[in-house]
Amino acid sequence: MNRAMYAAASGMAAQQTQLEIVADNLANAEVAGFKGAAATFADVRAGEIGLGTTTLGRHALFAQGKLVKSSGPFDVAIDGPGFFVVERDGHRAYTRNGEFAREPDGSLRNSAGWRLDGVRIPGDALAVRVERDGRVAIDTAHDRDRTIARLRLATFPAPEAMRPAGATLFVPTDASGRARLVEPGAHGAPSIAFGMLERSNVSIVESVMQILSAQRAYEANAKGVQAADEMLRIANNLHRG
Amino acid sequence: MDGMEWMGSAMRAARGALDVATQNLANASSDGYRKAQAAITLSARGLAVSTHATHEQGAVRRTGRAFDLALLGDGAFRVGDATTRSGAFVRDRDGRLVDDRGRALRGTCGVLHVSERATIAADGTVRDGGRAVDRLALPAGTHVLSGALETSTVNPIGETLAILTAQRAFETAQKTMLAIDATREKSANDVVRVQ
Repeated sequence: MNRAMYAAASGMAAQQTQLEIVADNLANAEVAGFKGAAATFADVRAGEIGLGTTTLGRHALFAQGKLVKSSGPFDVAIDGPGFFVVERDGHRAYTRNGEFAREPDGSLRNSAGWRLDGVRIPGDALAVRVERDGRVAIDTAHDRDRTIARLRLATFPAPEAMRPAGATLFVPTDASGRARLVEPGAHGAPSIAFGMLERSNVSIVESVMQILSAQRAYEANAKGVQAADEMLRIANNLHRG
Repeated sequence: MDGMEWMGSAMRAARGALDVATQNLANASSDGYRKAQAAITLSARGLAVSTHATHEQGAVRRTGRAFDLALLGDGAFRVGDATTRSGAFVRDRDGRLVDDRGRALRGTCGVLHVSERATIAADGTVRDGGRAVDRLALPAGTHVLSGALETSTVNPIGETLAILTAQRAFETAQKTMLAIDATREKSANDVVRVQ
Protein backbone atom coordinates (compact mmCIF):
# COMPACT_ATOMS: atom_id res chain seq x y z
CA MET A 1 0.00 0.00 0.00
CA ASN A 2 2.94 2.23 0.62
CA ARG A 3 4.02 1.79 -2.97
CA ALA A 4 0.60 2.93 -4.14
CA MET A 5 0.70 5.85 -1.75
CA TYR A 6 4.12 7.02 -2.91
CA ALA A 7 3.25 6.51 -6.58
CA ALA A 8 0.12 8.64 -6.17
CA ALA A 9 2.06 11.25 -4.19
CA SER A 10 4.66 11.46 -6.99
CA GLY A 11 1.77 12.07 -9.38
CA MET A 12 0.54 14.92 -7.19
CA ALA A 13 4.04 16.42 -7.13
CA ALA A 14 4.27 16.19 -10.92
CA GLN A 15 0.94 17.96 -11.39
CA GLN A 16 2.06 20.65 -8.97
CA THR A 17 5.24 21.19 -11.01
CA GLN A 18 3.08 21.38 -14.13
CA LEU A 19 0.85 23.99 -12.48
CA GLU A 20 3.84 26.08 -11.38
CA ILE A 21 5.19 26.13 -14.92
CA VAL A 22 1.84 27.01 -16.47
CA ALA A 23 1.33 29.77 -13.86
CA ASP A 24 4.76 31.19 -14.72
CA ASN A 25 3.92 31.06 -18.43
CA LEU A 26 0.59 32.80 -17.88
CA ALA A 27 2.11 35.46 -15.63
CA ASN A 28 4.48 36.38 -18.46
CA ALA A 29 2.01 36.01 -21.32
CA GLU A 30 2.09 39.76 -21.97
CA VAL A 31 5.87 40.16 -21.68
CA ALA A 32 7.53 40.85 -25.04
CA GLY A 33 10.05 38.21 -26.05
CA PHE A 34 9.03 35.80 -23.29
CA LYS A 35 9.35 32.12 -24.12
CA GLY A 36 6.97 29.69 -22.45
CA ALA A 37 8.39 26.62 -20.75
CA ALA A 38 7.24 23.03 -20.57
CA ALA A 39 8.18 20.12 -18.34
CA THR A 40 8.58 16.50 -19.32
CA PHE A 41 7.43 13.71 -17.05
CA ALA A 42 8.29 10.05 -17.27
CA ASP A 43 7.45 6.90 -15.38
CA VAL A 44 9.83 5.49 -12.78
CA ARG A 45 10.11 1.75 -12.55
CA ALA A 46 12.32 -0.88 -11.02
CA GLY A 47 11.98 -3.74 -13.49
CA GLU A 48 8.28 -4.61 -13.62
CA ILE A 49 7.41 -2.61 -10.54
CA GLY A 50 6.06 0.87 -11.10
CA LEU A 51 7.19 3.53 -8.64
CA GLY A 52 5.30 6.56 -9.89
CA THR A 53 6.51 9.43 -12.00
CA THR A 54 9.31 11.97 -12.06
CA THR A 55 9.98 15.33 -13.66
CA LEU A 56 12.77 14.81 -16.18
CA GLY A 57 13.38 18.34 -17.30
CA ARG A 58 12.07 21.77 -17.98
CA HIS A 59 12.76 23.62 -21.21
CA ALA A 60 11.94 26.95 -22.70
CA LEU A 61 10.08 26.51 -25.98
CA PHE A 62 11.70 28.75 -28.56
CA ALA A 63 8.81 28.83 -31.02
CA GLN A 64 8.49 32.20 -32.73
CA GLY A 65 6.06 34.65 -31.12
CA LYS A 66 3.88 36.91 -33.25
CA LEU A 67 5.45 40.23 -34.25
CA VAL A 68 3.25 43.19 -33.42
CA LYS A 69 3.61 46.89 -34.15
CA SER A 70 4.73 48.82 -31.11
CA SER A 71 4.90 52.41 -30.03
CA GLY A 72 8.42 52.51 -28.59
CA PRO A 73 10.87 54.46 -30.78
CA PHE A 74 13.67 51.91 -30.31
CA ASP A 75 11.69 48.66 -30.32
CA VAL A 76 13.14 45.83 -32.34
CA ALA A 77 12.10 42.22 -32.85
CA ILE A 78 13.77 39.16 -34.31
CA ASP A 79 12.06 37.30 -37.11
CA GLY A 80 13.62 33.84 -36.96
CA PRO A 81 15.93 32.16 -34.46
CA GLY A 82 18.64 34.01 -32.54
CA PHE A 83 19.04 36.45 -29.66
CA PHE A 84 20.03 40.04 -29.00
CA VAL A 85 23.31 40.32 -27.13
CA VAL A 86 22.96 42.44 -23.99
CA GLU A 87 25.37 43.23 -21.19
CA ARG A 88 25.32 44.70 -17.72
CA ASP A 89 28.23 45.11 -15.27
CA GLY A 90 30.51 43.12 -17.55
CA HIS A 91 28.11 40.15 -17.76
CA ARG A 92 26.67 39.02 -21.02
CA ALA A 93 23.22 37.62 -21.57
CA TYR A 94 20.96 36.88 -24.49
CA THR A 95 17.36 37.91 -24.97
CA ARG A 96 14.62 38.13 -27.55
CA ASN A 97 12.96 41.04 -25.78
CA GLY A 98 13.68 44.08 -27.98
CA GLU A 99 12.04 46.71 -25.80
CA PHE A 100 14.89 49.22 -25.49
CA ALA A 101 14.96 52.82 -24.38
CA ARG A 102 17.59 55.47 -25.10
CA GLU A 103 19.67 56.50 -22.12
CA PRO A 104 21.42 59.89 -21.67
CA ASP A 105 24.80 58.29 -22.49
CA GLY A 106 23.46 57.16 -25.88
CA SER A 107 23.20 53.47 -25.03
CA LEU A 108 20.02 51.47 -25.54
CA ARG A 109 18.94 49.66 -22.41
CA ASN A 110 15.96 47.53 -21.47
CA SER A 111 13.92 48.11 -18.32
CA ALA A 112 16.28 45.98 -16.21
CA GLY A 113 19.27 48.06 -17.31
CA TRP A 114 20.77 45.58 -19.77
CA ARG A 115 22.53 47.40 -22.58
CA LEU A 116 22.20 46.35 -26.22
CA ASP A 117 25.71 45.40 -27.23
CA GLY A 118 27.52 47.49 -29.85
CA VAL A 119 25.09 50.39 -30.23
CA ARG A 120 25.63 53.97 -29.09
CA ILE A 121 23.35 56.67 -30.43
CA PRO A 122 25.16 60.01 -30.94
CA GLY A 123 23.69 63.01 -29.16
CA ASP A 124 22.81 64.83 -32.37
CA ALA A 125 20.62 62.04 -33.75
CA LEU A 126 17.13 63.22 -34.63
CA ALA A 127 15.76 59.92 -35.86
CA VAL A 128 16.99 56.35 -35.47
CA ARG A 129 15.99 53.29 -37.42
CA VAL A 130 17.19 49.74 -37.76
CA GLU A 131 17.14 47.95 -41.10
CA ARG A 132 16.25 44.30 -41.71
CA ASP A 133 19.94 43.47 -41.95
CA GLY A 134 20.74 45.04 -38.58
CA ARG A 135 22.17 48.32 -39.92
CA VAL A 136 21.47 51.10 -37.43
CA ALA A 137 21.03 54.42 -39.26
CA ILE A 138 20.41 57.92 -37.94
CA ASP A 139 19.33 61.24 -39.37
CA THR A 140 20.97 64.37 -38.01
CA ALA A 141 20.59 68.05 -38.81
CA HIS A 142 23.48 67.73 -41.28
CA ASP A 143 23.18 64.37 -42.95
CA ARG A 144 20.66 61.65 -43.48
CA ASP A 145 20.88 57.89 -43.24
CA ARG A 146 24.28 57.73 -41.56
CA THR A 147 25.22 54.17 -40.49
CA ILE A 148 26.42 54.17 -36.90
CA ALA A 149 26.37 50.50 -35.98
CA ARG A 150 25.43 47.05 -37.14
CA LEU A 151 23.41 44.78 -34.90
CA ARG A 152 24.46 41.20 -34.80
CA LEU A 153 22.44 38.34 -33.43
CA ALA A 154 23.69 35.36 -31.44
CA THR A 155 22.65 31.81 -32.25
CA PHE A 156 23.43 28.68 -30.26
CA PRO A 157 23.90 25.06 -31.27
CA ALA A 158 21.38 23.93 -28.61
CA PRO A 159 19.31 26.90 -27.37
CA GLU A 160 16.99 24.61 -25.36
CA ALA A 161 19.89 23.88 -23.01
CA MET A 162 20.39 27.55 -22.11
CA ARG A 163 19.70 28.61 -18.54
CA PRO A 164 16.94 31.17 -17.96
CA ALA A 165 18.18 34.19 -15.97
CA GLY A 166 15.15 36.34 -15.33
CA ALA A 167 11.99 36.57 -17.37
CA THR A 168 13.38 37.01 -20.87
CA LEU A 169 17.14 36.62 -20.38
CA PHE A 170 19.12 33.49 -21.11
CA VAL A 171 22.71 32.56 -20.46
CA PRO A 172 24.58 29.80 -22.27
CA THR A 173 25.66 26.59 -20.53
CA ASP A 174 28.14 23.87 -21.44
CA ALA A 175 25.33 21.90 -23.01
CA SER A 176 24.03 24.75 -25.14
CA GLY A 177 27.40 25.47 -26.73
CA ARG A 178 28.95 28.88 -27.40
CA ALA A 179 27.28 31.83 -29.05
CA ARG A 180 27.83 32.25 -32.76
CA LEU A 181 27.24 35.75 -34.10
CA VAL A 182 25.31 35.99 -37.34
CA GLU A 183 24.60 38.89 -39.66
CA PRO A 184 20.84 39.31 -39.85
CA GLY A 185 18.99 39.57 -43.11
CA ALA A 186 21.14 37.16 -45.12
CA HIS A 187 19.55 34.19 -46.84
CA GLY A 188 18.36 31.69 -44.24
CA ALA A 189 19.41 33.94 -41.36
CA PRO A 190 17.02 35.73 -38.99
CA SER A 191 16.09 39.32 -39.79
CA ILE A 192 15.34 42.35 -37.66
CA ALA A 193 11.94 44.05 -37.59
CA PHE A 194 12.14 47.67 -36.45
CA GLY A 195 9.18 49.26 -34.68
CA MET A 196 7.89 45.81 -33.77
CA LEU A 197 7.97 43.65 -30.67
CA GLU A 198 7.77 39.88 -30.44
CA ARG A 199 4.83 38.81 -28.31
CA SER A 200 5.34 35.97 -25.88
CA ASN A 201 4.64 32.57 -27.44
CA VAL A 202 2.36 31.53 -24.56
CA SER A 203 -1.10 30.50 -25.69
CA ILE A 204 -3.62 31.51 -23.05
CA VAL A 205 -6.25 29.02 -24.20
CA GLU A 206 -3.76 26.17 -24.11
CA SER A 207 -2.49 27.25 -20.68
CA VAL A 208 -6.00 27.29 -19.25
CA MET A 209 -6.60 23.81 -20.61
CA GLN A 210 -3.34 22.67 -19.03
CA ILE A 211 -4.43 24.11 -15.68
CA LEU A 212 -7.78 22.31 -15.82
CA SER A 213 -6.26 18.96 -16.68
CA ALA A 214 -3.48 19.35 -14.07
CA GLN A 215 -6.07 20.15 -11.43
CA ARG A 216 -8.19 17.10 -12.26
CA ALA A 217 -5.17 14.83 -12.42
CA TYR A 218 -4.03 16.18 -9.04
CA GLU A 219 -7.43 15.36 -7.54
CA ALA A 220 -7.40 11.86 -9.01
CA ASN A 221 -3.92 11.23 -7.57
CA ALA A 222 -5.10 12.54 -4.20
CA LYS A 223 -7.88 9.91 -4.37
CA GLY A 224 -5.13 7.33 -4.84
CA VAL A 225 -3.37 8.48 -1.67
CA GLN A 226 -6.69 8.44 0.20
CA ALA A 227 -7.53 4.94 -1.00
CA ALA A 228 -4.13 3.62 0.07
CA ASP A 229 -4.60 5.25 3.46
CA GLU A 230 -8.12 3.87 3.81
CA MET A 231 -6.92 0.36 2.98
CA LEU A 232 -4.26 0.63 5.66
CA ARG A 233 -6.96 1.63 8.12
CA ILE A 234 -9.10 -1.36 7.09
CA ALA A 235 -6.11 -3.67 7.50
CA ASN A 236 -5.52 -2.26 10.97
CA ASN A 237 -9.11 -3.10 11.91
CA LEU A 238 -8.47 -6.79 11.22
CA HIS A 239 -7.38 -7.24 14.78
CA ARG A 240 -10.32 -6.72 17.06
CA GLY A 241 -9.19 -6.06 20.55
CA MET B 1 -6.52 -23.37 1.32
CA ASP B 2 -8.97 -22.27 3.92
CA GLY B 3 -11.19 -19.20 3.89
CA MET B 4 -8.71 -17.08 5.81
CA GLU B 5 -5.97 -17.73 3.24
CA TRP B 6 -8.39 -17.04 0.37
CA MET B 7 -9.33 -13.71 1.86
CA GLY B 8 -5.66 -12.92 2.51
CA SER B 9 -4.89 -13.50 -1.15
CA ALA B 10 -7.89 -11.36 -2.13
CA MET B 11 -6.56 -8.51 0.00
CA ARG B 12 -3.09 -8.84 -1.53
CA ALA B 13 -4.64 -8.84 -5.01
CA ALA B 14 -6.65 -5.69 -4.22
CA ARG B 15 -3.45 -4.05 -3.04
CA GLY B 16 -1.72 -5.08 -6.28
CA ALA B 17 -4.57 -3.60 -8.32
CA LEU B 18 -4.24 -0.35 -6.36
CA ASP B 19 -0.49 -0.27 -7.09
CA VAL B 20 -1.18 -0.54 -10.83
CA ALA B 21 -3.95 2.10 -10.78
CA THR B 22 -1.88 4.65 -8.84
CA GLN B 23 1.13 4.04 -11.08
CA ASN B 24 -1.07 4.74 -14.09
CA LEU B 25 -2.62 7.84 -12.52
CA ALA B 26 0.78 9.22 -11.54
CA ASN B 27 1.75 9.05 -15.20
CA ALA B 28 -1.32 10.78 -16.59
CA SER B 29 0.99 13.55 -17.88
CA SER B 30 3.96 11.43 -18.97
CA ASP B 31 4.15 11.72 -22.75
CA GLY B 32 4.45 8.39 -24.51
CA TYR B 33 3.40 6.43 -21.41
CA ARG B 34 1.16 3.46 -22.07
CA LYS B 35 -1.03 2.38 -19.23
CA ALA B 36 -0.51 -0.99 -17.57
CA GLN B 37 -3.53 -3.24 -17.40
CA ALA B 38 -4.09 -5.22 -14.21
CA ALA B 39 -5.84 -8.59 -14.40
CA ILE B 40 -6.83 -10.58 -11.34
CA THR B 41 -6.47 -14.28 -11.96
CA LEU B 42 -7.72 -17.22 -9.96
CA SER B 43 -5.45 -20.13 -9.20
CA ALA B 44 -5.24 -22.96 -6.69
CA ARG B 45 -3.10 -20.69 -4.51
CA GLY B 46 -5.64 -17.89 -4.40
CA LEU B 47 -6.10 -14.66 -6.27
CA ALA B 48 -3.14 -12.97 -7.93
CA VAL B 49 -2.64 -9.77 -9.91
CA SER B 50 -0.82 -9.87 -13.22
CA THR B 51 -0.07 -6.79 -15.25
CA HIS B 52 0.46 -6.47 -18.93
CA ALA B 53 1.35 -3.60 -21.21
CA THR B 54 -1.31 -2.12 -23.47
CA HIS B 55 -0.76 -0.99 -27.06
CA GLU B 56 -3.50 1.54 -27.46
CA GLN B 57 -2.56 4.64 -29.48
CA GLY B 58 -2.29 7.79 -27.38
CA ALA B 59 -3.82 11.10 -28.42
CA VAL B 60 -1.46 13.44 -30.24
CA ARG B 61 -0.68 16.90 -28.92
CA ARG B 62 0.83 19.59 -31.15
CA THR B 63 3.89 21.32 -29.69
CA GLY B 64 5.41 23.06 -32.72
CA ARG B 65 8.96 21.99 -31.86
CA ALA B 66 10.54 20.36 -34.90
CA PHE B 67 12.16 17.51 -32.97
CA ASP B 68 9.12 16.50 -30.94
CA LEU B 69 8.09 13.29 -32.61
CA ALA B 70 4.91 11.28 -32.19
CA LEU B 71 4.51 7.73 -33.45
CA LEU B 72 1.23 6.76 -35.07
CA GLY B 73 1.09 2.98 -34.99
CA ASP B 74 3.30 0.33 -33.42
CA GLY B 75 7.01 0.54 -32.85
CA ALA B 76 9.21 2.76 -30.73
CA PHE B 77 12.15 5.12 -30.96
CA ARG B 78 15.57 3.61 -30.41
CA VAL B 79 17.45 5.65 -27.83
CA GLY B 80 20.80 4.42 -26.56
CA ASP B 81 20.27 0.74 -25.73
CA ALA B 82 16.58 1.16 -25.00
CA THR B 83 13.36 1.95 -26.80
CA THR B 84 10.76 4.53 -25.91
CA ARG B 85 7.48 5.94 -27.20
CA SER B 86 8.25 9.32 -25.68
CA GLY B 87 9.48 11.47 -28.57
CA ALA B 88 10.47 14.76 -26.90
CA PHE B 89 13.92 15.26 -28.40
CA VAL B 90 16.07 18.37 -28.41
CA ARG B 91 19.14 18.91 -30.50
CA ASP B 92 22.29 19.11 -28.38
CA ARG B 93 25.43 21.10 -29.25
CA ASP B 94 26.90 18.17 -31.17
CA GLY B 95 23.79 17.83 -33.32
CA ARG B 96 22.52 14.66 -31.66
CA LEU B 97 18.81 14.44 -30.83
CA VAL B 98 18.65 13.62 -27.13
CA ASP B 99 15.71 13.02 -24.81
CA ASP B 100 15.50 14.30 -21.26
CA ARG B 101 17.31 11.26 -19.91
CA GLY B 102 20.24 12.22 -22.14
CA ARG B 103 19.82 9.26 -24.49
CA ALA B 104 20.52 9.91 -28.16
CA LEU B 105 18.05 8.94 -30.89
CA ARG B 106 19.36 6.27 -33.27
CA GLY B 107 18.51 5.77 -36.90
CA THR B 108 19.23 2.61 -38.88
CA CYS B 109 22.90 3.70 -39.27
CA GLY B 110 23.52 4.57 -35.64
CA VAL B 111 23.19 7.76 -33.61
CA LEU B 112 21.70 10.63 -35.65
CA HIS B 113 23.69 13.83 -36.18
CA VAL B 114 21.67 16.61 -37.74
CA SER B 115 21.59 20.39 -38.22
CA GLU B 116 18.87 22.74 -36.89
CA ARG B 117 17.11 22.58 -40.23
CA ALA B 118 16.79 18.80 -40.41
CA THR B 119 13.31 17.38 -40.92
CA ILE B 120 11.85 13.98 -40.18
CA ALA B 121 9.30 12.81 -42.71
CA ALA B 122 6.21 10.72 -41.99
CA ASP B 123 7.94 7.52 -43.11
CA GLY B 124 10.85 8.14 -40.72
CA THR B 125 13.30 9.47 -43.32
CA VAL B 126 15.64 12.05 -41.78
CA ARG B 127 16.47 14.82 -44.27
CA ASP B 128 19.16 17.38 -43.67
CA GLY B 129 19.87 20.12 -46.21
CA GLY B 130 17.60 18.45 -48.77
CA ARG B 131 19.46 15.13 -48.57
CA ALA B 132 18.22 11.95 -46.88
CA VAL B 133 20.83 11.14 -44.23
CA ASP B 134 19.25 8.29 -42.31
CA ARG B 135 15.92 6.81 -41.34
CA LEU B 136 14.24 5.68 -38.16
CA ALA B 137 13.69 1.94 -37.92
CA LEU B 138 9.91 1.61 -37.79
CA PRO B 139 7.55 -1.25 -38.53
CA ALA B 140 5.51 -1.08 -41.75
CA GLY B 141 2.43 1.10 -41.45
CA THR B 142 3.82 3.29 -38.66
CA HIS B 143 4.07 7.01 -39.29
CA VAL B 144 6.04 9.72 -37.57
CA LEU B 145 4.45 13.07 -36.88
CA SER B 146 6.97 15.83 -36.34
CA GLY B 147 6.11 18.81 -34.10
CA ALA B 148 3.80 16.75 -31.90
CA LEU B 149 3.93 14.37 -28.95
CA GLU B 150 1.93 11.27 -28.14
CA THR B 151 0.21 11.82 -24.81
CA SER B 152 -0.21 9.26 -22.06
CA THR B 153 -2.97 6.68 -22.66
CA VAL B 154 -4.04 6.83 -19.02
CA ASN B 155 -7.73 7.56 -18.54
CA PRO B 156 -8.07 9.22 -15.10
CA ILE B 157 -11.76 8.26 -14.78
CA GLY B 158 -11.03 4.60 -15.42
CA GLU B 159 -8.17 4.61 -12.92
CA THR B 160 -10.23 6.37 -10.24
CA LEU B 161 -12.84 3.65 -10.74
CA ALA B 162 -10.13 0.99 -10.44
CA ILE B 163 -8.99 2.58 -7.17
CA LEU B 164 -12.52 2.53 -5.75
CA THR B 165 -13.03 -1.06 -6.87
CA ALA B 166 -9.75 -2.14 -5.27
CA GLN B 167 -10.62 -0.34 -2.06
CA ARG B 168 -14.05 -1.96 -1.82
CA ALA B 169 -12.72 -5.40 -2.72
CA PHE B 170 -10.16 -5.00 0.05
CA GLU B 171 -12.87 -3.96 2.48
CA THR B 172 -15.11 -6.88 1.51
CA ALA B 173 -12.27 -9.34 1.99
CA GLN B 174 -11.49 -7.84 5.37
CA LYS B 175 -15.15 -8.09 6.46
CA THR B 176 -15.28 -11.69 5.31
CA MET B 177 -12.09 -12.41 7.19
CA LEU B 178 -13.60 -10.92 10.34
CA ALA B 179 -16.73 -13.04 9.83
CA ILE B 180 -14.65 -16.20 9.49
CA ASP B 181 -12.72 -15.17 12.58
CA ALA B 182 -15.97 -14.63 14.51
CA THR B 183 -17.21 -18.09 13.49
CA ARG B 184 -13.97 -19.68 14.60
CA GLU B 185 -14.07 -17.78 17.82
CA LYS B 186 -17.50 -19.23 18.45
CA SER B 187 -16.43 -22.76 17.70
CA ALA B 188 -13.32 -22.39 19.80
CA ASN B 189 -14.87 -20.74 22.80
CA ASP B 190 -18.64 -21.40 22.85
CA VAL B 191 -19.30 -24.80 21.24
CA VAL B 192 -17.01 -26.69 23.57
CA ARG B 193 -18.15 -24.81 26.63
CA VAL B 194 -19.88 -27.27 28.91
CA GLN B 195 -22.58 -25.72 30.95
